[in-house]
Amino acid sequence: MDAVEKANAERQKQWAKDQKVGEGTYAVVYRGREASTGRKVAIKKIKVGQFKDGLDMSAIREVKYLRELKHQNIIELLDVFSSKTNLNLVLEFLDSDLEMIIKDRALVFLPADIKSWMAMTFRGLEFCHRNWILHRDLKPNNLLIASDGQLKIADFGLAREFGDPGYKMTCQVITRWYRPPELLFGSRYYSSAVDIWSVGCIFAELMLRTPYLAGESDMDQLKTIFRALGTPTEQDWPGHTKLPDYVPIGQFPKTPLRDLFTAASADTLNLLSQCLVYEPRKRIAAKDALSHSYFFAHPYPSHPSKLPKCAAQLTAALPLEELDGNTLSGKTNRLKRKLTSPPDETKTRSAVARRLDFTKPTPGS
Amino acid sequence: MANRMNFLQGKTVRKVIPANASHSRSSSTPQVNGTSATIYGGGVKDPSGRITEYSSEDDQCPVCKSDKYLEKRLRLLVSSCYHKMCESCIDRLFTLGPAPCPICSKVLRKLAFTPQTFEDLGVEKEIAVRRRIAKEFKKRVEDFSNLREFNDYLEDVEDITWNLINDIDPAGTEARITAYREANAALTLLNTQREEAYVLSLRQAEDLERKEKEMRAEEQRREEEEERAERESGKRDIIDRLERADDADAARVVRRTRRERAEREANRKGVAPGKGAQALLRARLAAAAATAAAKDTPHVPFQDNYYAYEDMFVLQPVYVDPTSEAVRKDREGIMRAGGFRVEEAWERALRSAVAGLDLWPLGQESVPNPQPIDQGGDVIMSAA
Repeated sequence: MDAVEKANAERQKQWAKDQKVGEGTYAVVYRGREASTGRKVAIKKIKVGQFKDGLDMSAIREVKYLRELKHQNIIELLDVFSSKTNLNLVLEFLDSDLEMIIKDRALVFLPADIKSWMAMTFRGLEFCHRNWILHRDLKPNNLLIASDGQLKIADFGLAREFGDPGYKMTCQVITRWYRPPELLFGSRYYSSAVDIWSVGCIFAELMLRTPYLAGESDMDQLKTIFRALGTPTEQDWPGHTKLPDYVPIGQFPKTPLRDLFTAASADTLNLLSQCLVYEPRKRIAAKDALSHSYFFAHPYPSHPSKLPKCAAQLTAALPLEELDGNTLSGKTNRLKRKLTSPPDETKTRSAVARRLDFTKPTPGS
Repeated sequence: MANRMNFLQGKTVRKVIPANASHSRSSSTPQVNGTSATIYGGGVKDPSGRITEYSSEDDQCPVCKSDKYLEKRLRLLVSSCYHKMCESCIDRLFTLGPAPCPICSKVLRKLAFTPQTFEDLGVEKEIAVRRRIAKEFKKRVEDFSNLREFNDYLEDVEDITWNLINDIDPAGTEARITAYREANAALTLLNTQREEAYVLSLRQAEDLERKEKEMRAEEQRREEEEERAERESGKRDIIDRLERADDADAARVVRRTRRERAEREANRKGVAPGKGAQALLRARLAAAAATAAAKDTPHVPFQDNYYAYEDMFVLQPVYVDPTSEAVRKDREGIMRAGGFRVEEAWERALRSAVAGLDLWPLGQESVPNPQPIDQGGDVIMSAA
């Protein structure tokens, strides 16, 4: 065994792998522990072998940027090691994400909660941008929530450096609903403003509890955006008609945000509208957003420990058998009163029904 | 029919199969039966033995008349107008949308049926009403200038509750509740939050207490074990010494070892409680700190002073930069429309140049002219 292998084996020994938690296209995620302290971690095992020329690009990106970024609101990469032919990333264990929280109808968001999440998102994003890194895949799904309520930006699989002149960047990034118009028009030279648009969409989603600009295709996405915010004019966004994939979409009038966000304060709408400015250069920067009056106005952002948590997070410690069926008594039963009988009863009923089922042709007839 | 009459008179009825039931089942006559089995009959119980859902052997669906005897799985649910019916009737009547109640013809929905908790539906209703009222009327003594006003308020609330329970002037009562809700929305919200905070603090205190108890038990167990081990080794010690000593010494050896052990035990008893109390105090303090930290604090834009060294460079409007020439030409304004700025590239180069300029190499502490500069982002960037 040479020195490198030995060092790798040493590292591997520090982490214990438990059960599988999830599987993505290019990785399997396991729950694990630090052997010495018992601290919970997530181990992301990158599948190697399905790519002809070595490692998957997103794995490389993830390691490359997470090794450098250490911040309260960015997921921490604790270690990297290889096992057999696989690459393993040891990440901080975070049990839920903002999408789960938005979808959990049992939770009520106060304006202060939304403010707190937005502040944490902007802080994490500002840290990426100050280090010249674009995230390029911001969405509620990628904003993870720690057990103490801290929000952490995760999934740097599409991240990229910016601020180097002359290199074209791909416009096929960012999940469609959160993709800014300049990328939809095929711009190959863009900036940190693309992430800000995504944050704006997340901000609106937190208030609406449903995706704000949900287009069905790339074309429809543009239409959805224009329908919500009005078709941009040459004045609003100089030069956008010259962008590579520009096509006229149709004229939609500008409607004030107030019509949709009826309960929002003026500060809130001001920040939201500044995140959703068509002209990327005029879109607010993360650094400036953090100093926006929205964050200083009353109510103060909620302390992270007081933010709403979804039930899945609270019951995550339970084994799976206890999570399905009626065994989980108390809270959930009281919330959703069910009319149907417990499952074991229906089972016996269906057994009876099967016995009485005469319509089925017998093999003899 | 007799069965029906008994039901209406509120008597409990039970069907009994005669021993020779083979000839005709329909002839089995209902008989009045008032044994304890019907009174303390059934119901779903939670682990502590409390009944969470009431049911009795004499349950009968007033709509389809099926009863517990023939339909073992009969489960009666209560509608929002406080009429009972069985699940299959509910499925049949309300699956296709809201429909009138077969008893009082109030329009009901399938989801508005709830399990029965109390035998007396009057109690069920009163509790539902009181729960609703408690959610709306949340004022406390502190919210009034004197006790008299508070008492008047309580009287009002009780009045409304009574009206709701007994269906006296429902429209007027609802109007009163709405008026109150509108007038006191902010205060209600505040008091709700206060209550939640109180519940949270209670739960934390409970948690703490439980942990303390566990800790104490653990400590005690360990102590006992130690004691046992000590006694064991003491015994062995005596035997060893006795083996070596002659008869005259024996008594003395025993006495001395006993005295030593007594001393040790006394020592331990003196020390142990002190240690336990210390741990207790520490846990308490930690909990107190946690609750204090959970207070909302004003927003702070940055948690470091990364932008403090901004005055270490000046960005010129234009540089001689052959690498970016092609991009800068941008005749059609495509770069501009996409949000790209060549200035960012220059700024990045400058920042990288000045970042960490006054940090000593190899993390040396003795900086001659210490200047606080962000340790987070910069160190990492320069190391990368």
